[in-house]
Amino acid sequence: MTSQRTAILFVLPALALYLAFVGLPILQVAAYSLFTWDNGSVTGFAGLANFTRLGGDTVFWTALGHNGIWVVLTLAFPLMIGLLLASILAECSPRTVRILGAIYFLPRTIPLVVAGIIWGWIYNPMFGLANWALDMVGLGALGGAWLAEPSTALYALNVVGAWTFFGFCVLIYLAAIQAIDPSLYEAAQLDGASWLKRFRFVTVPLLKPTTLFLGLYAAIEAMRFFDLVWVTTQGGPGYDTEVLTTHIYKTFFLVGDFGYAATLSVVLLAIVLTVSGVSYRLLRSA
Amino acid sequence: MTAATALTATRHTRQSARRLTLGAFPAGRLLRHVILLLFALYALAPVYLVLLASVRSEAELFSGPLSLPWPIDFSNFSRTWTESGFAHYFVNSLIISTGSTVLVLITAPLAGYAFAKLDLPRKELLFGLFLAGLVVPAPSVIVALYGNLQKLGLLDTRLGVILPQAALLLPFSVFMMRTVMQDVPKELIEAAAVDGASPFTTYVRVVLPVVRPGLMSLALIAFLFSWQEYLLPLVVLQADDLKPLTVGAATLQGRYGVDYGGIAAAGTIAFGPLVVLFLVMQRSFVRGLTAGAVK
Repeated sequence: MTSQRTAILFVLPALALYLAFVGLPILQVAAYSLFTWDNGSVTGFAGLANFTRLGGDTVFWTALGHNGIWVVLTLAFPLMIGLLLASILAECSPRTVRILGAIYFLPRTIPLVVAGIIWGWIYNPMFGLANWALDMVGLGALGGAWLAEPSTALYALNVVGAWTFFGFCVLIYLAAIQAIDPSLYEAAQLDGASWLKRFRFVTVPLLKPTTLFLGLYAAIEAMRFFDLVWVTTQGGPGYDTEVLTTHIYKTFFLVGDFGYAATLSVVLLAIVLTVSGVSYRLLRSA
Repeated sequence: MTAATALTATRHTRQSARRLTLGAFPAGRLLRHVILLLFALYALAPVYLVLLASVRSEAELFSGPLSLPWPIDFSNFSRTWTESGFAHYFVNSLIISTGSTVLVLITAPLAGYAFAKLDLPRKELLFGLFLAGLVVPAPSVIVALYGNLQKLGLLDTRLGVILPQAALLLPFSVFMMRTVMQDVPKELIEAAAVDGASPFTTYVRVVLPVVRPGLMSLALIAFLFSWQEYLLPLVVLQADDLKPLTVGAATLQGRYGVDYGGIAAAGTIAFGPLVVLFLVMQRSFVRGLTAGAVK
């Protein structure tokens, strides 16, 4: 009994802080979503009226679609690149691994706000590096205002997202590869398996749990990222880079509709908790 | 497997690889090295670009993004630091990040220890509660958090950023600390108990010294994430002299859309400390980041 009481005392500070500033607000947000609000105070019970509004909210569906595209792009690009680079690095000298590992990870240490500002310049139509580089190789005609054009804005932003994320994937994959029994690779080599075959038949299958973990991580980040969009396009041009978080922010701070902002928050929470719950099961059984 | 055996293992595979490709034209290897270098360029080019721009004088602005600035001009830094208020922003980032990190360092190891080693009732449920928090997006709690902070009188105070920031970092931190604490030998804790030490004394005198590398990793990651946070301070802080670097840099971009040298210097001030910290403490960082992922 006393030992149980001690254990509770040990958990208490963390639990109190966590419940006060994360747990409680989540419950409040869920409650807020059931009311109509005006100017920061409740005006009436709304039932599920806020939720039925979602159906006709085209911005919401557009934003959700963009989050979906972001998930797919993140799984397709930084994750695959991370796997490829990590498997190449695994056969390099420890010094190369340390130096290149640091270089790949470096962008992750840069705040997304600053990353957004830097890349905003790279994409600048007048003096940006992107158009300048295209000019240099004779493809100047392909240049444009990357972040201002509806057809390119979201993808141009995703390149920035990938920039800050692929190094993390390299490090995680590398740690997992180094934990693989080296005799497996030696056996494959003695059988005359090429690098590509070793990659395909040894590395990739053995890293399935790591891929699942990174996939989950990437998907969650893709659902909840905010800084990058807010500091570069604020969801524009039009709604072409709108995501759920920017939609929530605007609904709350610019429109002042607390009830509907809470509803959108509940939807976002429901999505990330469902995705992670399902993936957690998958990870456990993998 | 320990890091040392992993390294000798990679070295070993590398040597046998060299033996096997001997004589054949190593086109595959060349291609693989080109890939490594291309992505190093992708990672470094934007950083290089902003560093160049930060020491470029205004007169040279349109001489091409990659042209070397000469003479090197530090006036962007002095102007940003003094006139644009970045000395304040820097101190605020330091206070807010240190505050959150200290809070996390006090609370998360205690909880991680209880989850890993103590007889905690409803352990699964409580841990699940923290686990669920791993994915909670900050924007989804802001709607309620904002009003709560207002009622507590914490709106427009640094503490109003520090407390929720630490709370949002806790799920990851508790998870990581549980993993770290699981490796503390049971005998060590039992021996201290036999000597008559109270659980708390055991924790402070015996457990904490053993997990010091883990604490270091936790501190670095908590500091990194707090320093990078944008949404919380953006929402909570209105007074300009309370804002951290991330908010300051974003405001500067909006305010003087043409002062590129100044913005580059501001960006460099905002990420410089993190880059230096990461390069110096790389090993600790990587251990922390991979702690939760690989196990």
